[in-house]
Amino acid sequence: MRDREHKEVMGKSNLMIKLRELLLEEDRINQEKLTNEVQLLKDEFNTRSKLEHKIDPIIEDHLDKLKTDFPTLFGPVITETIKYQIKHSQDEVVDALYPIIGKLIRKYIAREIEMLSEKVDAQLDIAFSWKGWINRFKAWFSGSKETDIVFQGVAEPVIEEIFVIEQNSGLLYGSYSRNKTMDQDMIAGMLTAIKSFVVEAFKSGEQELESIEYESYHILFKSFKKYFLAVAVSGTITASFKDKLDGTVLNFANKLRKQAQEVNNTDTDVFSGYLEQYFKEINK
Amino acid sequence: MILSKKVILLGHFGVGKTSLIQKFVHSKFSEKYITTIGVKVDKKVVRVNGRELSLIIWDIAGENARQKVPQAYKMGAHGAIFVFDVMRPSTYENIEDDIKHMQSILPPMPFVLVGNKKDLMSEQKLNVLKKALPKNDFFFSSAKTGELVEEMFGKLAKLMTQ
Repeated sequence: MRDREHKEVMGKSNLMIKLRELLLEEDRINQEKLTNEVQLLKDEFNTRSKLEHKIDPIIEDHLDKLKTDFPTLFGPVITETIKYQIKHSQDEVVDALYPIIGKLIRKYIAREIEMLSEKVDAQLDIAFSWKGWINRFKAWFSGSKETDIVFQGVAEPVIEEIFVIEQNSGLLYGSYSRNKTMDQDMIAGMLTAIKSFVVEAFKSGEQELESIEYESYHILFKSFKKYFLAVAVSGTITASFKDKLDGTVLNFANKLRKQAQEVNNTDTDVFSGYLEQYFKEINK
Repeated sequence: MILSKKVILLGHFGVGKTSLIQKFVHSKFSEKYITTIGVKVDKKVVRVNGRELSLIIWDIAGENARQKVPQAYKMGAHGAIFVFDVMRPSTYENIEDDIKHMQSILPPMPFVLVGNKKDLMSEQKLNVLKKALPKNDFFFSSAKTGELVEEMFGKLAKLMTQ
């Protein structure tokens, strides 16, 4: 009796085990699979090189997007920040910009006044002198402009020589000359020495020597960071000529800036070529 | 296309810097510039290793190598020549300090030491003097006779193109 009961219990137990196996086998396999996958993920997450491999492309995408969208996303914030800084640090901003802006404004006003003064002088001279009346009659009979006749009498400014000289060393980058006189390298050296002498002798600091004049001959200096231009001009320099020259100098400097990577300071022929190309026009 | 190098001549007043240059080049600017603005620029084209090199030589005046000379004259130099008078110890006693001072204001560059007026001193005394000087490239020259003038400029030119 007991044996039979025991066998029945055992049979039921085996059935339960088989039933459990049948019902839970799939779950067990899934659990094992999940455990393996979690282990793999853990490994990928904790191994830098594996993680980088996965994350880098996403970060790069985001960075590219950020680069493209930066002005839209952060432009307003940056503008606001700058506005705030300027508003609350006015003294510092003024200190930093004053010398630059002041210099520019002073130069601009001086030139405008000079041009205005020239125009007024010319008008007065022509209007109230005998010569003015003569010019008026000449213009009336010849049909040409009165101002053209007046300006024919003035010694026209002519660029005689231009030098592009390296700051400090005084070595010549290039030159343009209508009539070559002395050795250009030596002139470049001496002009640099004179410029340095004036700055040191008068402790002019940030200020630069702008021109040297003797009778009707002028040497105008235009300084840039790495080099300066010395322009020797004969005749009467008018404000309009100065204006034209300044414009050409800026165009020339712009050309040099663009070519700077291709041209080095030993390419004197290249520099001289540019000088002729830009400044010969002014003499025409 | 000729390569150009700036050379500065330094040294006390009266050691013979200008005379050495006169012996080496045919000066085109008047010497009076040295007394007016403290410098005169000369030029000489030399050949180094088969290539032409243009030496732009700045003859800088001064009571000594450091004082009363606008520092800007030395800027951008590619080589220097320290000149002293073998007959005047005051012109070379502080030469090492002068060299150090130059090295403190300019980027590293080659230089030569030149004891001028050797024609006024005996060989024996010159040998004694030689031992007292720093172990740099140096020459005992004479602007009067022209002895070793070409050589010292040539040596510096070579050093500058290395």
